[in-house]
Amino acid sequence: MSQKVISYADLSYINSALRSIKADMSAVNVELGGLNTKHDHLKSDLLQLANSFSDFVESDIKHKALQLAETRQGNLKQDLQIKFGYYAEVRRMATGILQGVDTGIISDDTLRHTTEEVMIKAPNYWLAPSLVVLASWIRDDKDTTKKALTESLKRDDYKTTLFFMLVMRRLGRNDACLQWMHRYFLHQNPHNLDREFIVILEAITTGVFQPASHQLMITNVKTWIDQLTQTDNYIDKQKAQWTEFFKTKGSLSGKKYPLLEEFATNWDSLKSSVTQARSHYALDNHFKNIFETTTDYSKSIKIQLDEILSLLVTNFDDEELPLQNEVRLNQLIIQKDGDKKAAQALIDNEKHIFDEKVDFLQMLTNAAFDPELSGATKVTQALAVSISQPWILEAHDTFTADYRNKVEEKVELIIDGFKTSTIDGTDETEQLQKHDKYWADFLENELKKLSSPKIGIIIGALVALLALVIFGLIGIIGALIGGIIIYSSINNHKKAKKKTIEIVTERKAKSKEVLRGCIVETVDYRKEFATEDAKAEVLRQTLISITPEDFSSSSRETRSILQPS
Amino acid sequence: MARILFQNESLNIQSESKQTSPKVLSDREILKKRSEGYLKLIKGLDAELLAETRGKEELMAKIYDEFGTAELANLPLGILAKCYLGHPHEVHTLDLSGGQIIQHYKIGEPLPDHFEKARTLAKHNAYAFVEVFKDKLIPIRKDGTATKL
Repeated sequence: MSQKVISYADLSYINSALRSIKADMSAVNVELGGLNTKHDHLKSDLLQLANSFSDFVESDIKHKALQLAETRQGNLKQDLQIKFGYYAEVRRMATGILQGVDTGIISDDTLRHTTEEVMIKAPNYWLAPSLVVLASWIRDDKDTTKKALTESLKRDDYKTTLFFMLVMRRLGRNDACLQWMHRYFLHQNPHNLDREFIVILEAITTGVFQPASHQLMITNVKTWIDQLTQTDNYIDKQKAQWTEFFKTKGSLSGKKYPLLEEFATNWDSLKSSVTQARSHYALDNHFKNIFETTTDYSKSIKIQLDEILSLLVTNFDDEELPLQNEVRLNQLIIQKDGDKKAAQALIDNEKHIFDEKVDFLQMLTNAAFDPELSGATKVTQALAVSISQPWILEAHDTFTADYRNKVEEKVELIIDGFKTSTIDGTDETEQLQKHDKYWADFLENELKKLSSPKIGIIIGALVALLALVIFGLIGIIGALIGGIIIYSSINNHKKAKKKTIEIVTERKAKSKEVLRGCIVETVDYRKEFATEDAKAEVLRQTLISITPEDFSSSSRETRSILQPS
Repeated sequence: MARILFQNESLNIQSESKQTSPKVLSDREILKKRSEGYLKLIKGLDAELLAETRGKEELMAKIYDEFGTAELANLPLGILAKCYLGHPHEVHTLDLSGGQIIQHYKIGEPLPDHFEKARTLAKHNAYAFVEVFKDKLIPIRKDGTATKL
């Protein structure tokens, strides 16, 4: 009965209902799509908000840091003013006095009065008694000069010494200057030199100080070098740096030996040898260039010396340094708009520059490598090179012997499976013979691998024989079939053989071309290596011809001690 | 062509047992310029001179002189030089420990221990000969300049 009902049931209603559901569903889908888009929008909006919020937080932190830095800077400056305010006054006065002394328009009384006042106002500051010394020295008051000098040296021996050495040079008092210079050298530790030493050294070399200072420097430098070269450590360190320097000077364009690059298995090593050999020419020019400068630097050195003097006079004293550093940090924070990290990085950098102390040999090497970076001129570079000459030469000898020792005796080649090696490419005939033999053997081997036609021939023969024996005359047809089998198997083999020969011959021809190319490149390579390597001797002569001033005599002396006379 | 000029390996073992702490030479001392006499001596060596024992003793005395020491630990194991006998000789060695002082080696012929690493430099024209030590090579230029490797 139920079946009957179903057979009469009208499904159109359900159909239309389904249709409307479908329509509704698609409407829902559209809605959902819209929702998704909205969700995406919302997400990006939220992300934007989060970003701007974190930006806000960051800028707020910076802003607060900025405000804090500004307040702190003010406070610190006040602190400085209270504690060391007179120092600044003394410094201003020192500059004024120096200028006044230069022009000679200040009366002795004024000088005396002001400097003595300074003495009272700035206790513990080395510059105050130094100014008294200057004033009393000008009016020839020996007693006061002596007392004030003792006090000044007591407060800061090194700075007082440097100060008077530079002032005496400015005033052209050669003897006094030399005395101070003597004291200045005593202050220097060759293991740990101040940055300004290079300027003094340069000034002496270029004759800004009087000639007698040159001898004084030579004597001191000699002693230092003796001291530093007693053990191998210092020299070895410099030698290693020079060797590295030499290594960076060679270069080779990538396209010069394309075949060797592709087919020589030891190309990396071959390349490194020729690259290093190619450095001599560049180095020879480099060293010649250092010594060919004729620019007069004495003027700029005088300015530099005065800069040291004014730095010495205007720079902060050790006592106030911690406070001054704080002020500087806050100043940088303000400069960087509240970015504490950036400011800290900057100040660390600045400190590094000021703290840098080096041993004498290292100072020479720095000046020789990059005079500008170490605050010197080409004159000092030349001086540094000439003092360092003995170990530059040693480093160059080591560098040269090292790559010569490592040079590959043979060029190892693998060309399409053909392995060979040649020393200098002069054995082309033998190489080509070896190559021919390799490919002949290879071909023979390949041909052996081809399936032999024998089985086909035997099967064909058997078929023909059996057909003839069993079917008699009619068997001729069978025999013909056998014949066809034999023929086709022989023919197939012939074809395969021909093809193999063709392929192998083509490979051989290509390989031969490459081999010839490699041999030509090997000849060129050895030729270039020999030419460039010979330039090592030219550079060596250049290095030997550098007059190592009088300094290197110390190292020569060490050598002669070891030589049986 | 190369030669090993004197080899003190076997003597070296003796010296190590005798002297417990041989003075170690600094680089400054090792790298001092070799004297002309020493250069001439090594260059002028030929088998005939050294065949006699006296020649060998004289040679050793001169070498001690040059190095300022008779401590064998501070002396080279031997000397390797380019051989001028002509093809196929490549290098020769100077060996003071055995009866055969000078030994000539042909191209491709393997050299005794320690000497092989000096072969390339010994063949190079820039160097007169190479002093072979256990832990280093000292190529000597024709003007007597020493380099440490």
